[in-house]
Amino acid sequence: MIERHHASAAAVCAVALAAAAVAAASFTAHRAPDVVVPGSGVTEVRMLSDWFPGLDGTPGDTEVYVLRGAEPGGSMLVLGGTHPNEPAGYVAATLLVEDARVGRGVLYVVPRANASGFTHNDPQEGAPTGFSFRLPDGSTRTFTYGSRATNPVHQWPDPEVYIHASSGQSLSGNETRNLNRAYPGREDGTLTERVAYGIARLIVGEGIDVTVDLHEASPEYPVVDAMVAHERAMPLASNTVLGLELQGIGMSLEPSPKNLRGLSHRELGDATDTLAVLFESCNPSQGRLRGRTDEALVVEGKDPYYLRAAALGRLYVPFDEGGVPLAERVGRHLASIAELAFSMGMESEDEGLELSGVPGYDEISELGVGAFLSPAPEAGS
Amino acid sequence: MTVVYIAIAAALLALTVWNLWTERDWRKQCTAAMVAVPLLLRVLMIK
Repeated sequence: MIERHHASAAAVCAVALAAAAVAAASFTAHRAPDVVVPGSGVTEVRMLSDWFPGLDGTPGDTEVYVLRGAEPGGSMLVLGGTHPNEPAGYVAATLLVEDARVGRGVLYVVPRANASGFTHNDPQEGAPTGFSFRLPDGSTRTFTYGSRATNPVHQWPDPEVYIHASSGQSLSGNETRNLNRAYPGREDGTLTERVAYGIARLIVGEGIDVTVDLHEASPEYPVVDAMVAHERAMPLASNTVLGLELQGIGMSLEPSPKNLRGLSHRELGDATDTLAVLFESCNPSQGRLRGRTDEALVVEGKDPYYLRAAALGRLYVPFDEGGVPLAERVGRHLASIAELAFSMGMESEDEGLELSGVPGYDEISELGVGAFLSPAPEAGS
Repeated sequence: MTVVYIAIAAALLALTVWNLWTERDWRKQCTAAMVAVPLLLRVLMIK
């Protein structure tokens, strides 16, 4: 006859297996990539592995949308989703793919630069797995809320100390999975370093004139509502910031630190001929002072604890009852990209990038992101 | 290196399940089960 403690052990094991199955289904569902509906301006959809075959078949390979104008001109690469817990960046990149048209020059857009980071989210952050927008036709589009770093299932274990390959800089071990500490990358490195290398190969291979890395930062972080520029990109970035200020969009300009290594604006500017800049908008769902972290906080950007922090003068951005909605942050990124494209053509028309169809800051703030997204194709169509 | 770490996690999972099976106190069995769930998900490279 079976012993009593073996019976209870079998029952406990069955419950544990059921819990593991439920968790596994949830984690596996998180791996489905977000829908991107290429707009009429997209002339080609390629993969990053086209420039670096070492990524082919890996979770680091990702779509590169090419929007080529009828006339030759300058080229720009927009990277969204370097940090998949900074939604304004990859939502803005997605809107470029769906709405932008190019008359002169070429625009390359990578909405999910760290594709692996979208397949999970950070433990102990209490963040939602996704967020949605309602479209004018009544349908919804859902986006993943991911992790700042590559999925440990795809790159494991982390070292105790992460040493940046080309500089020898030491950082915390988990930064080994941070794409924005891995540039310019390594051909035979970790998955994250290989993604960084692939992006560098894309820039060199296509002779990209300007590279923009879209990010968000918490309201209590000093570099927020800011543009960080490599020293060679500073004249272009200065013109862009002035243009944004004339539109009433406040933006600070920060020089790329020379002793903070592995970041896109430093390493891509040093290792390639591209003019590298990085944008930061204000993301209340990312900061340490936030309260309940749910879909409403991600989309509406309202938080009572940030209100208190603002009253105490602890924030680097204005923060009131209206919060900082995702639509406004996406509008800020898109306005910055449009102004940057305009500034590229100020010195020489041959180097200009003529963009149209990009939603403006005011209209996206007023109408919301959903008004500018395309309905997702029905399954099987 | 990843394979070595998966092997370590698998060994730890096996020991945890063995401990659960031989333990007579049901509360400690529950504790072992809670430890086993994340180990199982990592061994299967799900999370």
